[in-house]
Amino acid sequence: MTGAVLLQWVLASLPEIIVITGACILLILGQLMRAGQEHLLVSASVAIVLIAALATLMLAGEVRPAYSGMFVADRFAVFFKFVFYLATVLTFLLSRKYADIEGIGSSEYYVMLLFALSGMMIMASATDLLSIYVGLELMVLCTYVLTGFLRHERRSNEAALKYVILGAVSTGIFLYGVSLVYGLTGTTQLDAMAAAVSGDPLDPGLLLAVVFIVAGLVFKVGAVPFHMWVPDVYEGAPTTITAFMSVGPKAAGFAVILRVFLNPLVAASDVWIIVAVIAVVTMALGSFVALVQDNIKRLLAYSSIAHAGFATFGVVAGGADGVASVMLYLLIYAFMNLGIFGAVIMMRNGDFSGEVIEDYAGFAKSHPGLALLMLIYLFSLAGIPPTAGFFAKFYVLVALVEQGFVVLAVIAVLLSAVAAYFYIRIVMVIYMREPERAFEPALTPLVRATLFCTAAGTIGIGLFPAWFLRLAQQSAFGG
Amino acid sequence: MTIPLLSLIVFLPVAGAAVLMCLCNDDAVRWTALGFTVVDLVLAVAMLAAFDTTTHEMQFTEKHPWVPAIGITYTLGVDGISALFVFLTALLGWICVLASWVAIDRKVKEFMISLLSMQALMLGVFCALDLFLFYVCWEAMLIPMYLIIGVWGGAGRVYAAFKFFLYTLAGSLVFLIGVIVLYFHGGETFDILALTAQDLPFDVQSWLFFAFLIAFAVKVPMVPVHTWLPDAHVQAPTAGSIILAGVLLKMGAYGFLRFSLPMLPEASVYYSTLMLALSALAIVYGGLLALAQDDLKKLVAYSSISHMGFVTMGIFALNLRGLEGGILQMFNHGVTTGALFLFVGVIYERTHTRSIADYGGLMKVAPVYTGFLALFTLSSMALPGTNSFVGELLVLSGGFAANMAVGTAAVLGALLSAAYLLGMYRKVALGPASVGARYEIRDVNAREMAAILPLAVFVLWVGFYPKPFLDVIDVSVKNLLTEVHGKGSGQ
Repeated sequence: MTGAVLLQWVLASLPEIIVITGACILLILGQLMRAGQEHLLVSASVAIVLIAALATLMLAGEVRPAYSGMFVADRFAVFFKFVFYLATVLTFLLSRKYADIEGIGSSEYYVMLLFALSGMMIMASATDLLSIYVGLELMVLCTYVLTGFLRHERRSNEAALKYVILGAVSTGIFLYGVSLVYGLTGTTQLDAMAAAVSGDPLDPGLLLAVVFIVAGLVFKVGAVPFHMWVPDVYEGAPTTITAFMSVGPKAAGFAVILRVFLNPLVAASDVWIIVAVIAVVTMALGSFVALVQDNIKRLLAYSSIAHAGFATFGVVAGGADGVASVMLYLLIYAFMNLGIFGAVIMMRNGDFSGEVIEDYAGFAKSHPGLALLMLIYLFSLAGIPPTAGFFAKFYVLVALVEQGFVVLAVIAVLLSAVAAYFYIRIVMVIYMREPERAFEPALTPLVRATLFCTAAGTIGIGLFPAWFLRLAQQSAFGG
Repeated sequence: MTIPLLSLIVFLPVAGAAVLMCLCNDDAVRWTALGFTVVDLVLAVAMLAAFDTTTHEMQFTEKHPWVPAIGITYTLGVDGISALFVFLTALLGWICVLASWVAIDRKVKEFMISLLSMQALMLGVFCALDLFLFYVCWEAMLIPMYLIIGVWGGAGRVYAAFKFFLYTLAGSLVFLIGVIVLYFHGGETFDILALTAQDLPFDVQSWLFFAFLIAFAVKVPMVPVHTWLPDAHVQAPTAGSIILAGVLLKMGAYGFLRFSLPMLPEASVYYSTLMLALSALAIVYGGLLALAQDDLKKLVAYSSISHMGFVTMGIFALNLRGLEGGILQMFNHGVTTGALFLFVGVIYERTHTRSIADYGGLMKVAPVYTGFLALFTLSSMALPGTNSFVGELLVLSGGFAANMAVGTAAVLGALLSAAYLLGMYRKVALGPASVGARYEIRDVNAREMAAILPLAVFVLWVGFYPKPFLDVIDVSVKNLLTEVHGKGSGQ
């Protein structure tokens, strides 16, 4: 291996290297930090992510394969990395005040988030089942810890334990699938796998392997039938981590799903039927169960299951438009979901948990501006124009109809009409009830900035989707 | 460079809403909202004045790319049919502001912002020549309307708002799939004119016809998907009812005219009997329901269902008289029913009851009010000399030409409307003055008069001299007919 090749490899993975190095430095410096300097942690973490983003942007010009076909820095990965950066930075901004209120402001919190970020980045770039596995584990191990970060709260501990056990099982299943693939094709590289199978793609062994891999990945995005952990973990985890998990790791899971499912090998094995069933059932379960939730974190957990279902429809559609539609969906979902979680986080102040939907009664009367922002996020999540949420759904539907899946498209829209009900129910509580008790939301300039940024994204992409759509289309592979 | 008149008309209320956000005095908010809606009306009148009635081509067109990657454009334009409704929307806009002047006493700013955004979106629906833009306006309307009903409505407002929202949303979403299917069949464009020029195979037309029908039938509303309407009307504040009856219901019928007939001509001809039967059902059933109501607003709401049945009957008679009558009747219904809701609102502000049984002998205490009420009641039952007579006569003659049985049923419906409207008027206005004893009833004041008078003018104007209105739509309707029959059954 020559120095030039090594340099190329380092260049390809420079953003990951920056994030991991930064996280390690922060881990050491964090121990030397005195109390009352937590704001430095936030600034340093944001700076690390921004440097990585800059590096990503500068290296985005060409496709850079690295590490003997295990890793690639292509436009697809770059798009996803920016979704991750967005999710991570906004989580940092939301965390500052929340960490004070909950008393979790140690440096490990930020370091863990950075390591989770690097895991997600590796997932987006991985082109080998083993490097996917490495990224996946790096990410989920950090989220296990972060879920249990409220050490003195039973709910948080319980959530973390459930998450670890179920997560470990699903990872095991995934690895078993990988080993089957290796046994049958002699490789774990996605491209080589497809080339190795020239015969019957419906070999029962391969089918079994594919099912195992699908199961392992579907767990990570919280789709049915591997969704059981989602409500408990989302409810128990610190709300900032819930916000992060509902956007970042979910997008990372979809990045891998897109790479794996649209691989010629998997695509040839009629796996789309399984995926279509998963999409329908996931969306139905998420939408219907969310109807009866009273805890807003649980409701948003089921809502995120429903959204995972809708994005999975884009995977079913496949093709360039299908891939682009999933990517655009995840980007828009990041904006609106972090927005609504930002509002939920802001409600947590003093002894007020702000977790029950009834806590928002009459919110429009006491805080009209914030209520308007929540209205925007909620209608966007429901998919009503002119918000971005509508365009995200619209483009997935276009991709579906383009491939001839009209019936699936009809099912998808009818289920999203069901889902609209629980979003507008929250709007109803905010706007059409009388306030029951006075409270002061935990608004800091950082939270304000986050809310502004997410609202601007939600409305801006809705009104002017052209640029973002082109970006997603250019970043989608296979087109 | 020409002035983008339609964009001005559509975006002026948006600008108004933006200005309102910066105000905090309630009176300033009211006057500003009024100012913007009046200027919008002036612009709409200017548009009508410059409108060329000799061509069916789209006029005042504007076209800008919006999302070029999938062929979405920002295209506006009006033909005779849409021009009439742009005018109607602008006409009712400022009347809504006047109707909410004292009726809305809390969160005035938010209310006026919702009202102005409603107006912008409704105008957008009538001006849009891009299917995507049309859909965005069509569905975005749910947000302000949900708030108008749900925040400022009556006691059962939350239920009514949910019902309205979910009914309309479910209908619209199926329409959305239809739009996307049409997009791929029509050469990947959302341009309405280009899609109209397409020749689609019959089975595709059939599917699309029903996909569109669900959305439009909910909006019109046609029996059996009408049940949201009485709830929404009864609970909505007066301005909300005026918008609902005056404009929102017209959008369903407009959808038939703009999409179903020209884009799916063969299916429209094939299913016209079904549509006529549904219309006759709505006319009779709506009339019977209205007959049994004690709540004033509910009565007018059910009469709306019956009257909109005349509109869809005229449209699906698929002949010149039927179509022109149907479109004219859409305009008339907007004016007359809008006025009737205004009247209910005016009296409700004084007595806080809508039950017909609570009223009686109103003529003795409020002669001006009851005088105008008589005019609009007679207009609603299509007395000769009023606007609805012209429209209903055209519809009936078109309907009889299309289908004898349906025409007969419609005549029965017209009789019913005389029964429930005259019955309502007798109980409310005539007889001993039972209401005066309990309530302090003032007659209409100047503000209310300003809202009522223009509508009264249109009732008589269309009643005695409908030619200018028919001229506006005439060429466009003839063109629409050649599109239906030329591409359709070959009549």
